Amino acid sequence: MTTLDANTEPRSVAGTRTWPAALGLMRRSLVNITRLPSAFIPSIMMPVFQAVAFSGTFFAIIQIPGFPTDRSINWFLPLGVVMGSGFAGIGIGFSTINDLEGGFYDRIRLTPAPRRALLTGPLLAALSRSTIVTAIVLLVGVLFGARPTHGVLGIVPLFLAALGIATIGTGWGLGLAYRFRDMRAAAIMQLTIFLVIFLTEAQTPLFIMEGWLEQVARINPFNNIIRLSRLGFLDAPMTFDNTWGGLLAIVGIGVGALWFARRGLDRLSDV
Amino acid sequence: MHNAALPIVAEGLQRYFGSGDDVVKAVDGVDLQIQPGEIFGFLGPNGAGKSTTVRMLTTLLRPTGGNGRVAGFDIVDEANDVRRNIGVALQDAAIDPLMTGTELLRLQAVLYGLPKATHATKAGELLERVGLTAAGDRRVGTYSGGMRRRLDLALSLIHEPSVLFLDEPTTGLDPMSRISLWDEIRRLNNDGTTVLLTTQYLEEADQLAERIAIIDEGVIVRKGRPNELKADVGSPTLFLNVDAEATQQATTLLATFGELRPSPEGALGVGLDAGPSAVSNVIRDLDQAGITVRHLELHEPSLDDVFAEATGYRLEGADT
Amino acid sequence: MTDTAADTRPKRAIELTPSNAAQTWAMSKRSIVALWRQPALVVPSIIFPLFFAALGTASFSRATNLPGFPAVDSYLDFALAGAIVQGILFGSTVGATALATDIENGFFDRLLSSPSTRSGIIIGRMAGGMAYGAVQTLIFIAILLPFGLTVKGGILGVLAMTVGGTVLALAVGALMSAMAIKTGSSEAVQGAFPLLFIALFFSSAFFPRETMSGVYGRLADFNPISYLVEGFRDLTIEGFTFGAALNAIVIPSVLAVLTVALSLRALRSRLGAR
Repeated sequence: MTTLDANTEPRSVAGTRTWPAALGLMRRSLVNITRLPSAFIPSIMMPVFQAVAFSGTFFAIIQIPGFPTDRSINWFLPLGVVMGSGFAGIGIGFSTINDLEGGFYDRIRLTPAPRRALLTGPLLAALSRSTIVTAIVLLVGVLFGARPTHGVLGIVPLFLAALGIATIGTGWGLGLAYRFRDMRAAAIMQLTIFLVIFLTEAQTPLFIMEGWLEQVARINPFNNIIRLSRLGFLDAPMTFDNTWGGLLAIVGIGVGALWFARRGLDRLSDV
Repeated sequence: MHNAALPIVAEGLQRYFGSGDDVVKAVDGVDLQIQPGEIFGFLGPNGAGKSTTVRMLTTLLRPTGGNGRVAGFDIVDEANDVRRNIGVALQDAAIDPLMTGTELLRLQAVLYGLPKATHATKAGELLERVGLTAAGDRRVGTYSGGMRRRLDLALSLIHEPSVLFLDEPTTGLDPMSRISLWDEIRRLNNDGTTVLLTTQYLEEADQLAERIAIIDEGVIVRKGRPNELKADVGSPTLFLNVDAEATQQATTLLATFGELRPSPEGALGVGLDAGPSAVSNVIRDLDQAGITVRHLELHEPSLDDVFAEATGYRLEGADT
Repeated sequence: MTDTAADTRPKRAIELTPSNAAQTWAMSKRSIVALWRQPALVVPSIIFPLFFAALGTASFSRATNLPGFPAVDSYLDFALAGAIVQGILFGSTVGATALATDIENGFFDRLLSSPSTRSGIIIGRMAGGMAYGAVQTLIFIAILLPFGLTVKGGILGVLAMTVGGTVLALAVGALMSAMAIKTGSSEAVQGAFPLLFIALFFSSAFFPRETMSGVYGRLADFNPISYLVEGFRDLTIEGFTFGAALNAIVIPSVLAVLTVALSLRALRSRLGAR
């Protein structure tokens, strides 16, 4: 290290640690979302609506022989949760686009906060939002007749799937936000999350499907996450065999998405 | 003093955007050595490369070539150490409009790793310092432009940085707000903070900066103390009025001090080759010749003249 | 436009009493061109309904055997009506959002202070949406035909659906424009869009009312969108009947009368407030 003149000697500031910085950014993200009712209310209402409306509209599908549950809300509640959590994740991407466009993100990047805190902070916010959405959809779902078939334990896979999708959505959303830095990223985020969730057993089980969708859903790793979310709500037993595929998908895609975000963050100083 | 010990050093700093035939050389080899405790003015029109240079020095943008050290640390390899020691007030004061002033300051304190116990007092002090105590709990979205700039400055001071970058801090401000911000910058400088200030206002650079650099099309075209730069442009012009019947004699006499210059109606103008100190000689000679001087004005070359001479054009809206 | 007369006339100040028709046409052209130039806003209103129709066809083909389902060759035939209505709900929001943006940036006030007629401004604004509604109807049918769609109603059925789609675009466009004029905020207009989506879901747009249970089914019974969709659907899966054509055209027409009146009222109160 170089010796410095008295005037320019670095006024010692302790190194910023990851956790406090991440928690600070999480707090900001959560407080801000409540100050934007036009974004906040739909983010809660849409998953609730999706769970209720799908189970009402497609009520009849439970009558198809072999359908894995006799309550349509049991089938569609987890879908609402997964969709809501995905949007909780990419919602972080949206607000980061705003920060990037408005220039506030430069302020954040100027701080000595560890770069991983810039990702974990928003991630924690997304996980919190996902937890809130899951709890609300679950509550409303139960009011509309949803019944976990494996007791309280059945709720665990639902939360795991929700947190997993929220993580994936955050990584993907942030990564796209860093690369495009404008609203184009938001359109791509929405479209992709929508596609990967719907090109699964989202609406009906594989054995009921026909043609192309069955082929796609079979190889779509997100199908495992959807299955995981429904484990506690179907008549089939909850076994590890049914669980590990979803967990693996979450870890695999989640790590990939966060890596995508990290690369994007590092490359911000290239443009 | 060795370069490495200076608060801001740039050597051949380059930043190109795009590639191939479309490459834009936003900054093309900038050298800077800024002294401790100095206010350095970085002057140039929009798009000249000021902000790009600042973005590189503040670790926001990776240089294409060359290198830089800020507060003794390399801007690429030791970016986090640089960040810890610099304060930056950004162009346009981009601040999250949904948060309150106090919340922003506290977030800033968290991100700079200040001890938790100090956050509240620190935020309060800074708000008071920039005169925003009453507005501290209001959302930034409700602030005026001047208030945002002041908050932005407060945000950049939370960790008591030794080097302060101010990127066009007064662009778009009304004259009153501008002057109060200038006062604050001088006060910070008196406390020992080194300041690099970019501006497109000649007057701002003239008022605040001990040394300036003029950047144009990514290249520094002039560098030095404002007075020296002005002196380099040419000699000061002396305008004087004498009685009409003495005009002929006075003109002959003045011509011995330098070239005669265009002057306002009724006045005589001469460029003083020997500089301002020649004024007393002019007066004495005129006096000895029995010519009474009715009115006298000495015009130093302005930074505007320096700028025009360096770049071949004048800054829009330049104060002359 | 005929400019030949103008060429032979001596030049003079701009004519201040052009025909209302010309004004309305100019406004319409502007709104149609605006849609054409913003594919990013328009394309989702084609893609999403098609996606849902495709998804539904692959997911629900076995559901068409369930009691309460009409006799169809495939879910695709059943889904067409819902796709068209969904697409028009989507698309009509775009024009209203543009109107709200006009209000936000002051262009609308300039229009109002020009000698253009009020109804010309409103109808002109809707015209783009109406043309787009017709085009959407035809696009959905054309794209889905190669995938096994059969329209039993034939040419007459397609024609009736196109008219119905046009009028529906007017009805929805006027409703959203009323919203735009009242609030003057494009964000509010976009924020109201999910309400349309909810209304669509609480109808028989995706599954027959006969298969729905309890309260949900009753809600669909009360929802005019159900009958509108069923008009379109009958034209697709049963054939052309005047009853079906009436449902497909008269229901949106009644809605349009109501919503246009609503938007004119919103306009009057906006003018009154100035």
